[in-house]
Amino acid sequence: MEYVNPEGLRLDGRRFNEMRQIVAEVGVVSKADGSAVFEMGNTKVIAAVYGPREIQNKSLQKKNDHALVLCEYSMAQFSTGDRRRQKFDRRSTELSLVIRQTMEACILTELLPHSQIDIFLQVLQADGGTRSACINAATLALADAGIPMRDLAVSCSAGYLNSTPLLDLNYVEDSAGGTDVTVGILPKLDKVTLLQMDAKLPMETFETVFALASEGCKAIAERIREVLQENTKQLEYRRAA
Amino acid sequence: MGLPDSSQDLSTEMEVDAFRRIFPLRFFERHLSESLRPDARPLGKARDTIVNPGLVSTADGSALAKIGSTTMLAAIRMEVMTPSTDSPDEGCIALEFHMPPICSPTVRPGRPADAAPVISKRLTDTILSSGMIDLKELCLVSGKAAWMGYLDIYCLNADGALFDAALLSAVAAFSNLEIPVVALNDNGRIVAISGGKDEDNASIIEKKAVNKEKRKLTLKNIPFSLTCILHKNYILADPTTEEESIMDTLVTVVLDASDQLVSLYKSGGTVLAYSSAVKSCVELARKRAKELKQILGEMDID
Repeated sequence: MEYVNPEGLRLDGRRFNEMRQIVAEVGVVSKADGSAVFEMGNTKVIAAVYGPREIQNKSLQKKNDHALVLCEYSMAQFSTGDRRRQKFDRRSTELSLVIRQTMEACILTELLPHSQIDIFLQVLQADGGTRSACINAATLALADAGIPMRDLAVSCSAGYLNSTPLLDLNYVEDSAGGTDVTVGILPKLDKVTLLQMDAKLPMETFETVFALASEGCKAIAERIREVLQENTKQLEYRRAA
Repeated sequence: MGLPDSSQDLSTEMEVDAFRRIFPLRFFERHLSESLRPDARPLGKARDTIVNPGLVSTADGSALAKIGSTTMLAAIRMEVMTPSTDSPDEGCIALEFHMPPICSPTVRPGRPADAAPVISKRLTDTILSSGMIDLKELCLVSGKAAWMGYLDIYCLNADGALFDAALLSAVAAFSNLEIPVVALNDNGRIVAISGGKDEDNASIIEKKAVNKEKRKLTLKNIPFSLTCILHKNYILADPTTEEESIMDTLVTVVLDASDQLVSLYKSGGTVLAYSSAVKSCVELARKRAKELKQILGEMDID
């Protein structure tokens, strides 16, 4: 099947290095301390952050002088093509762990000892790249909650089909059998916090795909910064009024 | 009353927010005596309600309903199944209400919220007993194939009156529902037709499409609900989470478009209601049903 036509257009009309349209908003769940909606094309994710608050399950606390970060990833029953049977399958558990460790690396947990930070992610629509959308949404929600972080954690995916590296795969491209590289970086520090890849790829090609994904991450970081600055302006305006 | 009069002395010195947290009941009663609530609503008024249909593109029908801050997202997916032998001409609806941890600080991950299965059951009972949906419309081939509608309602923000918002989103999702076109293939099985762009598919649609005309459900007797709190002599319509946590006697009245009573729900609570209180709740519900009917009407036109 042809995923990139001879003119260089993909199935949805994008070029190889074009991301899908991003819509991001903070403060959507009034009951949460911080929340955000992040959409990448048709993939829609809501993140809600509760914390820092009292630790609810003392047995989970491993380090006394650091905050405990918990993360739960769940997909709505109607989010994918077929209605999902089980709410918590192995993939959700794996993603919860991956996202928790990514966010834990960027939260300054030593500033909030004896407390718990809960990050909840709900996927409302899944069209590829849910992992990345979740990390981006979680970053926005943590910033909205005022939790100190060393940098924004941003994430993007890239793949390799029809001998072309492609940025930001959607579901059809992802299930094509080619490789899928998900990268999570801290843009200011220029450090990689998450790197996942499946399927086989020669080393040089991997470096091209990885570079493409990193570029995508930087673009998302810009966008997230704009959203947060706009949000701060709104808060300032409301406070002055 | 329960509380000593010490609050009387402190109330003049304390900040409003602190007073609200430490003496919530007295804070509310101060407002109730002026026939108002802290958010400046009169006692019988519900919060601003918005309904947005068709948000989830992966579902066959969906709607988002917001009452104040309480947000519910409902989506329906249709699947074909074999009807049971005692009702071969009827389809089926399976409803599930989810409260994911994002909606409220009191919901812990791994432990489903206490309210979720209760609301699930009440919603199923209300929708089926109101007769809004004729299950016979969900039949495809008598005795062999019928539609099973999976309705999932997700609470995205829990700020009181969960049942009302969930019912509204369910009704809106049903009215937004478009049943997928299917055809009977040679093996006698029902297959979905995707958009019909291929030439093969087009010929199938012309000849064998089983339900080409009937794509929308006819909804009669649409139920509308209103939850009220009873506190001493006051009746507060459409409570927020804060109000629900302080005053525990809730009464839910469900009426349909022709002002008939569909369901009444009062599950205990410290306040015992006289029939006059119940009648007042029904009156408030009647007014609310008119408002909701108008909101749903505006939604359909879009």
